[in-house]
Amino acid sequence: MLGEFEYLLLTAAARLGENAYGAAIRQEIEATTRRRCSIGALYTTMDRLETKGFLKTWMGDATPERGGRAKRMVRVTAKGIQAATAFYGAVMRVSRGVSWEANRTAVRP
Amino acid sequence: MWRLVDLVSRMLEPDERDAVRGDFAESRETGGQALRDVLGLVVLRQAGLWKDWRPWLTLVGLVVPLGMLLSLVSRRMAAGSAIYAWLYLNNWDWGYVQNPGFRHDLAGDMAAVFMEYGTLICWSWTGGFVLGSLSRRTIWVNRALFCLALLSVECWGAPRFLGRLLLLPPSYASGPNEAVFSGEFYRAAFPWIIHIALVLFPSLWGMRQGFRRVTLPLPLQMILWASAAATMFALVAQNLAWWQVRTWDTRPPYLPHLPSLMPLAIVGPIGYMLASAIGPRRRALKENNT
Repeated sequence: MLGEFEYLLLTAAARLGENAYGAAIRQEIEATTRRRCSIGALYTTMDRLETKGFLKTWMGDATPERGGRAKRMVRVTAKGIQAATAFYGAVMRVSRGVSWEANRTAVRP
Repeated sequence: MWRLVDLVSRMLEPDERDAVRGDFAESRETGGQALRDVLGLVVLRQAGLWKDWRPWLTLVGLVVPLGMLLSLVSRRMAAGSAIYAWLYLNNWDWGYVQNPGFRHDLAGDMAAVFMEYGTLICWSWTGGFVLGSLSRRTIWVNRALFCLALLSVECWGAPRFLGRLLLLPPSYASGPNEAVFSGEFYRAAFPWIIHIALVLFPSLWGMRQGFRRVTLPLPLQMILWASAAATMFALVAQNLAWWQVRTWDTRPPYLPHLPSLMPLAIVGPIGYMLASAIGPRRRALKENNT
């Protein structure tokens, strides 16, 4: 089963699609969770997910905005989609009927 | 602050360093935040490397023993050469130079001391080169631990069991040489000067070259590894037998006079320098011919 941060990373990468790379995924996670995402956690988790076969990464092109430095591009594999789907399903099932799930409409901003 | 970030990020692999520095440029983080982030990543990466058994084997089998052995040899060389330095420098009289016997002794003693210093520099370089070659990914941590092992013997002395195992001779500071080591310079400062100049700097230089080495031809690799093995053997054997024989007051009658270890010690550094000089020329020659 995936860990919480692993799921966040996979989801952010899947949402970004072809534009998924280190900095973009980090911004996406910070915007969604409203918490700071450390680069150390991000890149070590990316390595771990790639070892498990859930992600594929490669060095992309350098851009002027990045000071002429390359990006680390990310693509979620089919196995990664399966793992994220399983995690999501498990969270949904285990959350059924609990107070914060029932009060979802009340706490939504 | 960004200079610190650049310095720390050198501990990352080149691709990752590029990606991380690019991420910082894109996200417009402050130097402080970037430093915290990159330090965190470096610590996680290094911790991950040390989960494997190989860095531990290098640490226990090479880093610590080599550091301590070099430090012990350096201490004894410093003590021995301090006696000669005191004899000649602290008691100098230009009138002695007229005497051919004095000139002969001075030349012989200086040659012996400089041969020993040269041997120690070569041993230190070779040890550092081997460390740099073997522990490329954990080079930063091993470099720090090696320096700690080197300096620990200088600061706190050798463990007693090591002294008994290697048959370390008693300190020169007592007995007939008390006059030499009664002063602060020869007792405290001189060993540190020898240690830093002849061990620390050469071994760090060797580590840097071992880390940056390009693919060496097989014959040179064999020479370097043979030199490294000879270095380790010589460092241990020095303490056990050779030193006992070479000091005039402890020569056992049944052991022969053993030759200097200098020729054995310089094989590695000389071989590496030759290969570094010849290699690019051969490659350029090949490219011109094709």
